[in-house]
Amino acid sequence: MPRVTVTVRDSGGQTATATANYTITPPVLGGYYLSGGADPTTDMAGGNFRSLTQYRSFADGYVFPGYNQSWLVTLGRSGVRVNMVLELKHYGASDAGPQTFTVDGVRYTVPAPAMTIQQRPGTVWPKAYGYSQVLAGQCDGLLARALSQYRTMGFGVNIQLASELDTDHEFGTTEAGKAYTWAESDVRAVQAVIYIVNWFRAKALPQGTTFSVGLGGFDRACYQRTHPEALMTRLDFLQWNVYATSPTDTALARFRRTKDWAVADLGPVALSRPVLVAEWGVRVAEFPDQPAWIATVPPAIAQLNAERGPIIARTNYFNSGWGTLSPKATGLAALRAAYARPPYA
Amino acid sequence: MAAPTATASLNATSYAPGAQMLLTVTYSDPDTKALTVTVVVTDAQGNSSAPVKVSAVIDPLTITVTDDSGRTWTRVSDSGTVAVYRAVA
Repeated sequence: MPRVTVTVRDSGGQTATATANYTITPPVLGGYYLSGGADPTTDMAGGNFRSLTQYRSFADGYVFPGYNQSWLVTLGRSGVRVNMVLELKHYGASDAGPQTFTVDGVRYTVPAPAMTIQQRPGTVWPKAYGYSQVLAGQCDGLLARALSQYRTMGFGVNIQLASELDTDHEFGTTEAGKAYTWAESDVRAVQAVIYIVNWFRAKALPQGTTFSVGLGGFDRACYQRTHPEALMTRLDFLQWNVYATSPTDTALARFRRTKDWAVADLGPVALSRPVLVAEWGVRVAEFPDQPAWIATVPPAIAQLNAERGPIIARTNYFNSGWGTLSPKATGLAALRAAYARPPYA
Repeated sequence: MAAPTATASLNATSYAPGAQMLLTVTYSDPDTKALTVTVVVTDAQGNSSAPVKVSAVIDPLTITVTDDSGRTWTRVSDSGTVAVYRAVA
């Protein structure tokens, strides 16, 4: 811990000494995600990119490192900190029926996913493994398969359970024919996440393994419901996503919104956890000059980290969807410049 | 001769890299006195010069700030009892 020492000396040589200790928080890790889970190695080369988000479904037979994604192993072993978003949402598997497979000599059968999520009116509701299915142990095979693959990677990752529970639950959920409100879904999800984290933590995990739960962070009541202290004692990070999609959105306002709710609403364990921003982005439709907005992010993060409350530790730019960098080259240059400045460097 | 006293306080306990750090030093010494000497020269005829004033400090204090992490602290202000220094985290 650095220490500053003050010495006051009078003309006779008599002195008084006072000291003050302080800490410097480690640099914030600047990170990235490339659309479609594509290989980001070229985009990250030569920049201070130290963090990466990836998405996988537990339904997928290739959770770690992912089908044809050996580059993830290379990046992870070179020190890039990987945030693996593991979702109960069903994708990546050839069909949504039951699965039977063998993991380390043990035969597992996992039933078809029984839950629907993201029930936005007028859309096809995606299927997901249900929270009751998880609590009944019916998805243990999925967890075992993911863990077995994870152990071959050679480095620890953060396992973020769900991408955005608020997006998943916003219009309610159903499981096995029963409908649940948003609030009910949040409570059920918390129980399922506790089950999954307990399941993993009871096993031997690669060194450096951490856990978090995924939220978009756009709804205050949902954020509070999904962050009880009983869950946060099992998690290592707070997490939310940050997007600028309105012409008046400033980086400071967008990054601080969920933080302010957390500081006001959450308990001391939750607030002791650093923040992993799995996605951030600025939409080109409202901000044709994306580089200008990106340039305001480092001072915004520095200011937030100087204030009371949890420290923002990692921010991963989402070069996809709302965050798509257009033109890509100038956007990437702006990201490189931002990550080369304090508090990133 | 009395010994000086000093306290030091930072505006935070934890800083992000690049953040401004402020250090407030409060100090005093019972012997320290500021005084003003006023000189008037008068000749034999009783003509006096205009008064000339000179300031002086008895037992002045010097402040030294060091940092074991090598940061440079720059003085921002000094009232004579409270001095503020600045550094970059």
